[in-house]
Amino acid sequence: MNDRNRELRPFVPQPDDDMIVCRCEEITKGEIRRAVHDGMFTLTEIRRYLRTGMGLCQGQTCTKLVKGIVSRELGVRPNELGPATGRAPMRPIEMKVLAKDKEETK
Amino acid sequence: MMKRYDMIVVGAGPAGLSAAIEAAKKGMHVVVYDENAKPGGQLFKQIHKFFGSKEHKAKIRGFHIGEELLAEAAELGVEVVLNAIVIGIFPEKEVTVKVEDHVIHVKGDTILIATGASENMVTFPGWTLPGVIGAGAAQTMMNLHGTLPGKRVLMLGSGNVGLVVSFQLMQAGCEVVAVADAASRVGGYGVHAAKVARCGVPFYLSHTIISADGEDCVTGVTIGEVDKNWQIIPGTEKHFDVDTICLAVGLSPMSKLCDMAGCAMEDNPAKAGFVPTVNEYGETSVPGIYAAGDVSGIEEASSAMIEGRIAGIAAAARLGFISEETCKEEAAKQEAALEGLRQGMFAPGMRGKQITETEEGVEISQNLLKHGFVAEEEIERFPGVTHSAGVHPVIECTQNIPCNPCQDACPKHCIRIGSNITALPSIDPEKKCTGCGMCVASCSGQAIFLVNEDCGDGTAEVTLPYEFLPLPQKGDKGVALNRKGEKVCAAEVVHVRSAKAFDHTNLLTMKVPKEYAMKARFFREEETA
Repeated sequence: MNDRNRELRPFVPQPDDDMIVCRCEEITKGEIRRAVHDGMFTLTEIRRYLRTGMGLCQGQTCTKLVKGIVSRELGVRPNELGPATGRAPMRPIEMKVLAKDKEETK
Repeated sequence: MMKRYDMIVVGAGPAGLSAAIEAAKKGMHVVVYDENAKPGGQLFKQIHKFFGSKEHKAKIRGFHIGEELLAEAAELGVEVVLNAIVIGIFPEKEVTVKVEDHVIHVKGDTILIATGASENMVTFPGWTLPGVIGAGAAQTMMNLHGTLPGKRVLMLGSGNVGLVVSFQLMQAGCEVVAVADAASRVGGYGVHAAKVARCGVPFYLSHTIISADGEDCVTGVTIGEVDKNWQIIPGTEKHFDVDTICLAVGLSPMSKLCDMAGCAMEDNPAKAGFVPTVNEYGETSVPGIYAAGDVSGIEEASSAMIEGRIAGIAAAARLGFISEETCKEEAAKQEAALEGLRQGMFAPGMRGKQITETEEGVEISQNLLKHGFVAEEEIERFPGVTHSAGVHPVIECTQNIPCNPCQDACPKHCIRIGSNITALPSIDPEKKCTGCGMCVASCSGQAIFLVNEDCGDGTAEVTLPYEFLPLPQKGDKGVALNRKGEKVCAAEVVHVRSAKAFDHTNLLTMKVPKEYAMKARFFREEETA
């Protein structure tokens, strides 16, 4: 995936480019396809570039969809595309709760 | 001091609870965390009877299995903490959990990750409209919260989830306008499809959703037929007025916690996604961290329970609560049970294979795969379908699935499956059926009927499994529907039997003209009469 010289087919607008794929962050299919052409070849890069999968559901709904779009754009199989990194917190959590963490463990 | 447990289980579903039970039995101090307000994972939504054999808790409804597991866990002193979100797993098996409004840190000498799966979605114009929901979400609304997801529903997906939820939607009082699937064949068990089809639900295989209509919420849906390249064939569009679109298009393992814990992962299409690599005991590449159930590969609750038990046994051996030999012995028993479930036409190794014949060499019903019901001209070739004078069972079980409760249900031993659990049931002509109906109620697929083909007065009596309310009463007049769900003749309810042993599967016996004995398979009260 890290072959940055990968030749992509030219970006061709598609009729459903304005369809929302990541509902939480309201990112469209077209934006994701564009991002690939901007050089974002991994899910981690796409995520940082567009914030897909970083909203309330933490990618539970769109990860597979985004993966499909990116892999089609790159011309690879979806399972060749590595996953985005799993990090704590696993679920959205309020800052005030996280902030209390320190007190608890003292 | 950080609290320490012998085993920390993440997820109180079938795998997690089973592992906790097994570990606690060996004397381990176990805690189970679950982010939901209710334990049991998906089990408490499963109101249908499970398949399998006795050891797999066959013919018991899922939520009862969940209750059993919870009671067993409680008895063994397993601590089950609800509304508890595991937010991370850190080195040295330190786990952070959000409980109420604070974060606690606990340590486990072993950890079992049993976080299950999440529902897949598909996109189409309008897919973000309120009213487009996962089939699992519909099930949660109906069976946990007692709320109808909508009035008129289109189901996308003909796998077991799509079929089971379609049936439950009808039980809850919704109208299911159609089951559609982009695949060219029904993906789930034929018996599940058949019980949906005979209620009059049309199946559209090789069809997918083109768009959902509506401004603020779903008001309709258009589906169309797809060609070999999954492109819509122009002119095949069909429109339905619906307020709900249910998506049952597969599950993905919720395995992020495994990834974070440092377990080696693989993206394995055979396991439906990104999963930890595990050994035969469910242990990941991180010693002492186990994964069981859907998180390590999508299967179903019955296998998740066994995988959980194996992980619980292995964890006990790892910590020295049992010897290696005991572990091997007990795990082997569980492995055998698991192997029993992974047999037949729907076994994990059979995915994508086109099957044309049953194990017995009977040609598969193509109509079942294309339209959701066995055609009249096909049904006679299956071994469970025989004819004799007087009342006798007609078993419309036409695919090799690992399930055998009907064999034990018959007190007269009329029904034979044999030691091969996937064999099609056949009828022993020497044994006399008394019409007790135990087989009808025992069949998780609702595929057994009692038929008296000729009552001597030009009529026949058909007894069918009935799980809808309000329950028809003796003397009620209505219509008989055939396997396709079409009205074929007038029918009168002779009696409706309910018994504790039937576990809410009522036995409705209807009288029909005798030429419809092998056609009439469902009863509907006549709306106009």
